[in-house]
Amino acid sequence: MTTSAPNSNNSISERLAVESRKAILKMTHAAQASHVGSSLSVVDILAVLYSGIASISPATVTEIDRDIVILSKGHACAALYSVLGLCGYFPEEWLERFCNDGAELNGHATSIKCPGVELSTGSLGHGLPYGLGIQLARKNGLIGGRSYVVMSDGECDEGTTWESALIANHHNLDSLFVIVDRNGIQSMGSTEETLALEPFESKWRSFGWTVRSVDGHNHDELKAALVAPNFGRPTCVIAKTIKGKGVRFMENQVLWHYRPPNDQELSIGLDLLQGKSH
Amino acid sequence: MRNKFVETLYQEACLNHDIVLITGDLGFQLFDEFSKELPKQFINAGLTEQSMVSIAAGVASLGKRVFVYSIANFSTFRCLEQIRNDVCYMNNSVVIVSVGAGFAYGTLGYTHHAVEDLAVMRTLPNLEVISPCDRYETEVVTRMIARDSRPTFLRLGKVGEQDLYSAAPDLQFGNFSRLSDGEDGYIFFTGPVGSLAMQARNILRQSNKFIEVISVPFVSNLEKKYLSEINPNLPIVVLEEHFKRGGLGAAFFEKFNELGISARVKHVAASDEDLAMTGSQDYIRRRRGISLEAILDAF
Repeated sequence: MTTSAPNSNNSISERLAVESRKAILKMTHAAQASHVGSSLSVVDILAVLYSGIASISPATVTEIDRDIVILSKGHACAALYSVLGLCGYFPEEWLERFCNDGAELNGHATSIKCPGVELSTGSLGHGLPYGLGIQLARKNGLIGGRSYVVMSDGECDEGTTWESALIANHHNLDSLFVIVDRNGIQSMGSTEETLALEPFESKWRSFGWTVRSVDGHNHDELKAALVAPNFGRPTCVIAKTIKGKGVRFMENQVLWHYRPPNDQELSIGLDLLQGKSH
Repeated sequence: MRNKFVETLYQEACLNHDIVLITGDLGFQLFDEFSKELPKQFINAGLTEQSMVSIAAGVASLGKRVFVYSIANFSTFRCLEQIRNDVCYMNNSVVIVSVGAGFAYGTLGYTHHAVEDLAVMRTLPNLEVISPCDRYETEVVTRMIARDSRPTFLRLGKVGEQDLYSAAPDLQFGNFSRLSDGEDGYIFFTGPVGSLAMQARNILRQSNKFIEVISVPFVSNLEKKYLSEINPNLPIVVLEEHFKRGGLGAAFFEKFNELGISARVKHVAASDEDLAMTGSQDYIRRRRGISLEAILDAF
């Protein structure tokens, strides 16, 4: 799996992802916060959504027919906060105060003090039914706008995921999108050793969803999957990702679900993100 | 009570199309008119109580007033974290409705007994906890709730409750409602079990004891002004159809402590022995210590 080279079409989202990755390292280092691996895993998905796929901007963030992005895996909040901060939803300085006493940004996605965060999350399995409710109300009220729910693969252990999969199909919610950050690792080991999800695609398909599997670090593939026809059904994009992506020593390691980078690891990590070898 | 709730909600929903009713596949024939006449305001979410509450919160986030309906513990305990996070934390305009207060589903067993819900729900922030006692209170609070926007828990009885009022009372959020005057003591109660309070009051009146009986439909924040004006030297009964821990009694003890009131309180509530006890609502109430005798004993 490789990240595609930046080109004129995706340079905005790719640049955003690179800058967000640096911010994630700095934030988790400064706050000595967990979940750096999860944040690096999901950040390309968020960068793509906030670079034009989702019709949303700081100016339209309260409009009723805006596209809504819900980070259901709220522990990866450093990714969401960094993308929102870099896109101008709130002052970038807030990122530096991540998890400080009394700060605006706390250690799981929190909407109340943070413009652009649609739902406070932290307990898994809440984002999908919440987004589903929004799309159900929009469908009944003939209001436009899509909802994109970004989930972890471990989160698919939760029963509400499959309750919602049933309900979204029943109501033909074709403006509801799930993007699963399929990094294959949950909190104590691999998803397949913990509680096997495979065959994952066919599970979603059997619930009546349009399913697409893509490289979750390839912005072109992500964008293509999110704009392709969905045949009147809800869409699940299975984004195959690498936990810790971009910082070689963090990649595919459960450890970095918990451990924050120290000074040296931050320095090496930032070098790696800028293409310097170590 | 259940029918009065649905009838009133339907009237309100006809006037306000932002009212949405979501049921967890319960209420057979109860919602026929609502679902037929207001199909865009009605959702049967199936047996998905957890998702149903998050869905309700999502619907509410677009400016709707969403009622979530199920029975006993299915709309509270089964989806408690969804209520806590997606409704209360997010401050979404959702009303959790639970039918079957206390032992209303007596013969169906402990799974269907709502006897810890007040304790849990009244600790949740931003949540207005409302427990009407008869059809009159139900109608009034349902209208109030339909026209309000705060997260709310509505605890209803089922069917056949005795009416304690003879006309619609004038209720205000946070206030008690006095059903009878008296100088010889107080009975504070919440919910349909209030019929026992009125029976006790009538019996005591025959021996020239006059008891002030007070309904407490708003449980989350007890009325300070009323409590600060009572005579704490008179006998006080707090009556509820709920386990002893954490419910209305606890709310009174907390409030008395906060107000510095030292009073002799007899708490009439359910014991939690023999969880597998079955029988009618009256039988289980008596066996668990909620009886006329227990109330009269205080006076």
